Amino acid sequence: MYKNWWKILGALLVMYATIAGFLHSVPKLPILHESIRNLYFHVPMWFSMIILFAISVFHSIKYLLTNNATHDLKAVESVNVGVVFGVLGIVTGAVWAKFTWGQAWSFDVKQNFAAIALLLYFAYLVLRNAIDEEQKRAKISAIYNIFAFPMMVVLLFVLPRLSDSLHPGNGGNPGFNSYDLDSRMRMVFYPACLGWILIGYWIYTLKFRVRALDKYTTL
Amino acid sequence: MKKFFSTLLLLAISLQIFAQNASPSIEQSVYASGKIYVVVACAAIILLGLILFLFSIDRRLKKLEKYSDPKN
Amino acid sequence: MTLLNQVKFLVKKELLLEWRSKYALNGVLLYVVSTIFVCFLSRVSANPVTWNALFWIIMLFASINAVSKSFLQESKGRQLYIYTIASPHALIISKTIYNILLMMLLTVIALGFYIMVFGIVPADLGLYLVATILGSLSFSSIFTMISAISSKAGNGGMLMAILSFPVIIPVLIVLIKLTKNAIDGLDRSVSLDEIGMLLVINVLVFAVSLLLFPYLWRD
Repeated sequence: MYKNWWKILGALLVMYATIAGFLHSVPKLPILHESIRNLYFHVPMWFSMIILFAISVFHSIKYLLTNNATHDLKAVESVNVGVVFGVLGIVTGAVWAKFTWGQAWSFDVKQNFAAIALLLYFAYLVLRNAIDEEQKRAKISAIYNIFAFPMMVVLLFVLPRLSDSLHPGNGGNPGFNSYDLDSRMRMVFYPACLGWILIGYWIYTLKFRVRALDKYTTL
Repeated sequence: MKKFFSTLLLLAISLQIFAQNASPSIEQSVYASGKIYVVVACAAIILLGLILFLFSIDRRLKKLEKYSDPKN
Repeated sequence: MTLLNQVKFLVKKELLLEWRSKYALNGVLLYVVSTIFVCFLSRVSANPVTWNALFWIIMLFASINAVSKSFLQESKGRQLYIYTIASPHALIISKTIYNILLMMLLTVIALGFYIMVFGIVPADLGLYLVATILGSLSFSSIFTMISAISSKAGNGGMLMAILSFPVIIPVLIVLIKLTKNAIDGLDRSVSLDEIGMLLVINVLVFAVSLLLFPYLWRD
């Protein structure tokens, strides 16, 4: 039996975050103005993506240890969902950048590195398509997935700190962090992240169940 | 269907004509309202993306149902 | 045999094979030299920033060509033979060591030639040398693992490029930054961050490939 409470929790949290995200009061900042509210929509996408990719790595490791094809399906489906969240994150980031920096793609380090991190996972999906033999595909793609994950962590968390970025929270720009210490924003931001992560996880379980049905009933 | 698309096409063209007058003011209105529309656009994009994604899952499930339907 | 002996044996084998044919070394050297020459003949403006980027792009493609040979070239029979006599750890360590040696030789020769042709000498040549050595280290450690993955996937050079570019781009960005510091002759303490970063990436990649290679190697 599937327990449903976390799905309801996720839905409620996302609803709360959306409503409060629009209506709750936010600190007044010079350039950002109301677009600071994007913190509740754009940033949780990245959090969900990273969590989904982490789930994928976890299942890849499990696959290598057990050789159970179910783990391979879980790994690939969580990457699929993670990529969707990543693309949403990049697109919303570009829209926001268009009205804040004046250009949709201004070659900011964070934008570039996020794009490269997504490329890593596109490469993973290409690799999967390149191999026909099922077990071989599962094994090799699991290995590449584990190999790629530390690089993604380096890309998204370490490298942007080495160089200047226009992105809020970097290099002395009016960042979210210094302002969302202001507990007003935190009260919406944390539930938003948790809610979107739960929704992402939900979609991933759906995808996985469809995939598993596909595999075990039609064959 | 053809009629529908041609209507849509005409509509799109006519929209462009309107947009020529309106385009400079779109950005102005976005800035004037404290950029709240940026957030609206982002939320809409996220919803749209997730809904499209749901459709792709739906399509897959439909294929499955066709397969496992005993009548076929 | 102990691991150390196996590694020694395998490195010696690689060196001997290379020494007999001198195929990789000569081929890649010719490639590098002719590319540099083409760049020179096409009157690339000798702006130091362009000069630097060009050098790393040339080295990137040269190293992909050089390192991808290490697994893609081995015949099925030879792989089976190695499989019976050595542990997978010994194999990946020896391949990586051999590739590091090859790439170091190559980059130093290429750098000498490049400086000679263009007549630009970086202000801090010592740091530039350190950077190229670190670069060849990380190129070979990353590409060795990726070439192992793509050779197992059995799809040759195309997959190699797709899989390796997203992984190598962050390294390349750090390298270009480091060498830019060297060209400008900044104080060396400025570059410590980048050097540490490269070392961390190398250790990370090496540890991950050491962990993963046994799974890849056994069929």
